[in-house]
Amino acid sequence: MESFFLRYRNLLVLLAMLAAQIIGLAVQVRRSEAGRGGFDTPDGPGVRLVRLWSEGLVSQPERLIHNSKMGLIYFWQNYIDLHRVHQQNVELQKTIDRLRLEQASLLEDARQGERLQKLLDFQEKYIYKTLAAQAIGSSGTDQSRVFYLDKGSADGLDRDMAVITADGIVGKVRDVFPHTAQVLVINDQTSGAGVILETTRIRGILRGNAAGQTQIVGILADQRIQPGEKVLTAGGDQIFPRGLPVGVVEKVVRDPDRDSFIDVLVKPAAHIERLDEVLVITSTQPRFNDQQEQDMTQSEEQKGAEVTAIKEQKKAAELMAERLPGLTDPTLPPDQQPLHDASNPSPIGHAPQALHADRFTPGAAGGDAAPAKPVVTLKPGQIIDPASGLPIAKPANKPAAQTATPQRRNP
Amino acid sequence: MSVLSADTRRDLEIHRYPVLVYSLVPLVALVLQAWLPRVVGRYVWFDLPMVVTVYFALGRRSPIQGTLLGGGLGLFEDALSHHAIGINGIAKTIAGFLAASVGVRIDVENHTIRLALNFLLSLLCSGIYLFIYRFLLGMELEWSWFTELMKAMGNSVIALILFPLLDKTQIRD
Repeated sequence: MESFFLRYRNLLVLLAMLAAQIIGLAVQVRRSEAGRGGFDTPDGPGVRLVRLWSEGLVSQPERLIHNSKMGLIYFWQNYIDLHRVHQQNVELQKTIDRLRLEQASLLEDARQGERLQKLLDFQEKYIYKTLAAQAIGSSGTDQSRVFYLDKGSADGLDRDMAVITADGIVGKVRDVFPHTAQVLVINDQTSGAGVILETTRIRGILRGNAAGQTQIVGILADQRIQPGEKVLTAGGDQIFPRGLPVGVVEKVVRDPDRDSFIDVLVKPAAHIERLDEVLVITSTQPRFNDQQEQDMTQSEEQKGAEVTAIKEQKKAAELMAERLPGLTDPTLPPDQQPLHDASNPSPIGHAPQALHADRFTPGAAGGDAAPAKPVVTLKPGQIIDPASGLPIAKPANKPAAQTATPQRRNP
Repeated sequence: MSVLSADTRRDLEIHRYPVLVYSLVPLVALVLQAWLPRVVGRYVWFDLPMVVTVYFALGRRSPIQGTLLGGGLGLFEDALSHHAIGINGIAKTIAGFLAASVGVRIDVENHTIRLALNFLLSLLCSGIYLFIYRFLLGMELEWSWFTELMKAMGNSVIALILFPLLDKTQIRD
């Protein structure tokens, strides 16, 4: 028996190693409901422990290498390569001052927008808080496109947080350790992000392929999709807020597995192959820092002062209106209104009597004394006698303009 | 500095290394494998733990050591990825075993043999990985044989440079 083990010890060790690993695989594998296998589910405690050890062993040297590299870059940029730094500093300060004012205004709009969205029961999210982190390492294999950040749960990171750069989305936090975090990049085969094409408004799911390209899969063939069209996050995946840039359409190819479907290859906006610094969206709830709060308070105070001034003006106008004599008083019954009060001096008395009555004088032609003659009975150029109210014959040699002379005299 | 004990039967044929080399080189390979893709981008056409496994399996000429080293490095690689732990482990376990088994029978100092072995074992490793992923686990995986071919070639080129350097760390009587 002993000789058997000695003779076949190499094979036995090999089989033992293989058996142990196959059993381990069987324990780990979980199948999704759709029948598609995947490892995006949280690891079990044992597996997580192994990952933690491996990550702890590798991340410290990686951090050392990364810090050394960053230190060299910092030394070069801050002590050696200092051309035009002062001028840039002045320009940047001006830009900051301008942007702060703009930001305060935008934050107010955002807050108002969110209030309105709450009223409308919208589910969209705004980015309110991000955490900058450095990429320090990767999985080392192109079958698993993940990388590691130098921040972890101790810094407030959590699973399924979106990772972005200023250019566009990068991926999502897949696993979190105390001082590091694993990020699944959008060009991995197991990743998925809801996206929308900017102009055609066609929605799809973004994922990676074997070559490390990002593509939108499961889209019905559509001639409107052209290279160069922008791709944005759709916001329906509960990870990426809506409207973040994803990239541009690079090429449209037929789906090899399904007829009438196409794959849209997307060139990512973020440089996902060579990332140094990224932003992790840690909160989509409104939380403003002290400076932002101060700016908004100042802005609101200014707005409040304007509103107060307008109110003061309105109040003064009302006071003036109260002091002036009124013709109607809403608090009094109609028969006691100041208009009907005999003691109240009326601004308008009886109409003065005309010195020389004419056809326009009240009570003259068309007035009370003589009933108005219907216009249709008159003839053009016919003149009415003010005394009798009867038409008089028009003199043949008298111009019509002279008949208007008395009208001009009448005040 | 202490050295690893050699098999008594083939004591003269077995390469021996300082413990520091035997422990640090695999660790450095793991760290560089994890860090270099940040520098070279998508062209990750190398697998340093694989090269190190083949080197030590050939040098030590012990299938057990080759199996354990390959399995250990593969498991570490798996743990750094987001896939199940064991896929690379199984592939490199077999690669380490085969490299050591071949090393007993051939001249491992020959550069051509080293290059060919690295190339073939890398391709075998890729094939085992694909087999486990698709057939053993039944999961979908798009595969690019071009990338695997490039990786095998990259491993061979690295082996040509790295093996002579590591040979210099051998303990010679």
